[in-house]
Amino acid sequence: MLAYAARRILLAIPVVIGIMVVVFFLIRAIPGDPCTSLLGERATAEACERFNEANGLNEPIYVQLGIYMRNVVTFDLGESIRFSRPVNQLLIERLPVTTELALTSLAIAVLVGVPLGVLAARRHNTAVDTATVALANTGVSMPVFWLGLMLAYGFAVLLQDTPFVLPPSGRLNPGVLSTPYFELWEWELQEGSLTAKFHEYVANHYLLNNLITRQWDVFWDAVRHMILPAVALATIPLAVITRITRSSLLEVMGRDYIRTARAKGAGERRVVGRHALRNALLPVVTIVGLQLGALLGGAVLTESIFNLAGVGRGLFDAINGRDYAIVQGFTVIIASIYVIVNLLVDLSYAYLDPRIRLE
Amino acid sequence: MKRIRLIALFSVFALIIVACGGSAEPDPVDDTTPETPTTQDSGFEGLAVDAGGCDYGGKVSSITALDESTVEFALCSPDPAFLAKIAFSVFGIQPAEHIEATGGAPLDNPIGTGPYSLVEWVRGDSVIYARNDAYYGQVAPHSTAVLKWATEGAQRLVELQSGTADGITFPSTDDYQVIEDDPDLVLINKPEPNIFYIGFTNTFAPFDDPDVRRAIALGIDRARIVETFYPPGSEVASHFTPCSVQHGCEGDAFPDFDLEAAQTLLADAGFPEGFKTTIYYRDVFRGYLPEPGAVAVEIQTQLMDNLNIDAEVVVMESGEFIQSSTQGQLEGIHLLGWTGDYPHITNFLDFHFNADNPQFGDAHPEIYEPLSQASKLVDAAEAAPLYADANNAINVHIPMIPVVHSVTAFAAAADVGGSYAPPWGQVMFNLWDNGTDTVVFVQGNEPISLYCADESDGESLRACAQVVEALYSYSTTGDVQPQLATECVPNDDLSTWTCNLRQGVVFHDGSTFDANDVVASFAAGLDAANPFHVGNSGAFDYYSYLWDGLINAPEE
Repeated sequence: MLAYAARRILLAIPVVIGIMVVVFFLIRAIPGDPCTSLLGERATAEACERFNEANGLNEPIYVQLGIYMRNVVTFDLGESIRFSRPVNQLLIERLPVTTELALTSLAIAVLVGVPLGVLAARRHNTAVDTATVALANTGVSMPVFWLGLMLAYGFAVLLQDTPFVLPPSGRLNPGVLSTPYFELWEWELQEGSLTAKFHEYVANHYLLNNLITRQWDVFWDAVRHMILPAVALATIPLAVITRITRSSLLEVMGRDYIRTARAKGAGERRVVGRHALRNALLPVVTIVGLQLGALLGGAVLTESIFNLAGVGRGLFDAINGRDYAIVQGFTVIIASIYVIVNLLVDLSYAYLDPRIRLE
Repeated sequence: MKRIRLIALFSVFALIIVACGGSAEPDPVDDTTPETPTTQDSGFEGLAVDAGGCDYGGKVSSITALDESTVEFALCSPDPAFLAKIAFSVFGIQPAEHIEATGGAPLDNPIGTGPYSLVEWVRGDSVIYARNDAYYGQVAPHSTAVLKWATEGAQRLVELQSGTADGITFPSTDDYQVIEDDPDLVLINKPEPNIFYIGFTNTFAPFDDPDVRRAIALGIDRARIVETFYPPGSEVASHFTPCSVQHGCEGDAFPDFDLEAAQTLLADAGFPEGFKTTIYYRDVFRGYLPEPGAVAVEIQTQLMDNLNIDAEVVVMESGEFIQSSTQGQLEGIHLLGWTGDYPHITNFLDFHFNADNPQFGDAHPEIYEPLSQASKLVDAAEAAPLYADANNAINVHIPMIPVVHSVTAFAAAADVGGSYAPPWGQVMFNLWDNGTDTVVFVQGNEPISLYCADESDGESLRACAQVVEALYSYSTTGDVQPQLATECVPNDDLSTWTCNLRQGVVFHDGSTFDANDVVASFAAGLDAANPFHVGNSGAFDYYSYLWDGLINAPEE
């Protein structure tokens, strides 16, 4: 399995490089330029000339590409033109937002979607099945943008005088601060060191940070802020997982070995849980992996509506602002995560289905 | 060829004052009480920034700290808009030592004299401010102010409705009625000092014929455009400059819609069957043009229906459109607008109709000559007839058709006292009182940085203005008023302005505000050779734009 994983990782390198090159040229092919985006429409030609010179944008395109590739190899993703800050630092701040949101959404989708799919399959051709399929179709068709606004309006405005009120945006209430665990535990970290950056990255996962440090008020505040965006983002994967689970389980339930299990006197719960579901989960795992990749890279609308400063929204803003370094840096990270998740999905096949050998 | 000179002034005198027991601690100052100059107990070495002449083409010749509380701005040409310009929050003053300590880039840790000090900029989430209890002006009634952001107008409205925000910028025009119908909310009209106009470039036929331009001006029903596409409170433009700007509406109003006269004029000009042309625009929302595509099609429709002019609508990429239209390269009609930077008529008329602007083709001396004369006059009454002449000449030559001065709005919770939306400058949170210890305001985007000398977007400027103050400021109604200066007095020809500074003012870091801080702040922005001319992008765009170029700008 290790050899297989190593080979897959090696094969992923040209994929990531290809993505880097394509994104590098695509962002420059979009009409507009960083100078006008940042300095505004009253920027003079001289000011733009100086701006481009200072940011290396006057260099030939192949030189810019070469510099970019060289820097990426040394894990330097460049500096944002707009914010004058390293892209690595922006990732440390933003990636945890997206990771927490994506994982929470996926957890909701799996924990609700799989049981719903099983329920629909077991009650095949009943009202429960029809209702579940209808709900799943609605979930897939519902625009996240609209759903997000409706959720925010419903829970923040209509229910504002009830115990069910939830905040419409942000990660914490104004004035509530998430103190990093390394500060609470008085760890001495050298400012700017790789170790310090790592701990900063980990601590920016507010749910995790406040859970392990038992800052319960802050933790609860973070949970309350996470509920609406996570539900909004979970809708589509939840619907997809429900449908896939249902159809996969229906197919497996018709197999001979299920009939054999029943003939041997196994109870229905054991038949479904031990024999059918495990085999039916293979396509579900594939979908879950793909959905996780999509959630990590595609939460733009959810992050915008709920004012979460994640990678997706950052990428969207950077494209609008022609901030090449952010677009390139974030894309590389998203592509890499996608590749890794796919690899993990492939590796999980061997566990779920022993007949599969990874070679 | 910049020279920074350290001028040793009164050092011996200062030592004598020390010996006599002069106080090192500044007295608290009430903004309603006239300042009494105090003598400092230390020697004062005045800073200066000197362009070494005016050959570089810019407006500023030198800025000199004459003493601790006096700064002199020597200009290369008269500038009647000086006070209106220096009130711009871009020209905020920070301690000289802080600018130096941050290497000229206090991007996320500004230190100012304003009603709040910065507590923390939680990236991606909010900017948190703490009340400055030692503020010389109106101290905030709450201890904390929070500035948040949400891109979508609908999302900002949800924040307001849910009670998590006390005020928001620019709700969607579609939501105006919702806000007005909600007893818990108030819509605050924001009189935008702007103009949307239909521009012509007279170097292209048939727009080289003034009768064609006049026919189109008379043949477009501007009131219909305003009623259909603009929020209530917007006005059909009688002049290019909004009437709220002094002298903006001197002279006759722009001609009204007159279809019969328009058709006759066009026929007499040789186009009884109309002609073909192009309407260029960019699909970018602006307060003066909230629905660009729809307005372009409306104008296209009116041209066809009223004058049989067959206009093709062409949408251009924003940057390319701005470049082409302002350089007078578009053969046809262009739809553009302008939002004033500072409340002075020169920012409208002189900027657009000066002799060197190619946007409308060949400039008209009947317009730019009176403008040039007026810009050298101190006496407003004396300038008024000249601005009337310029406005009347615009009505004759019609380089463009002024369409609308639009309004936008802020919204606030109804129980917030003192909520307002200023026509110029930034809303100040210390004037808002929601009766609690924290006020929360939501704007459209995150600030780019908090060093606004090198920023130009409203979101950054709003965030900075709470902390950093300029020599002058704009009042809630848009008037220019002294802030860190008690007054700036011009010489006879408006080419030298001497500013007396407010004394006893303390920065948030505890240091005392003096003339060197003013010079250092301006030098960092204005002088490209200054070691602290760093900033965020390094462009210092508004310094360059409002003062006609940077000192020691690198040669291209």
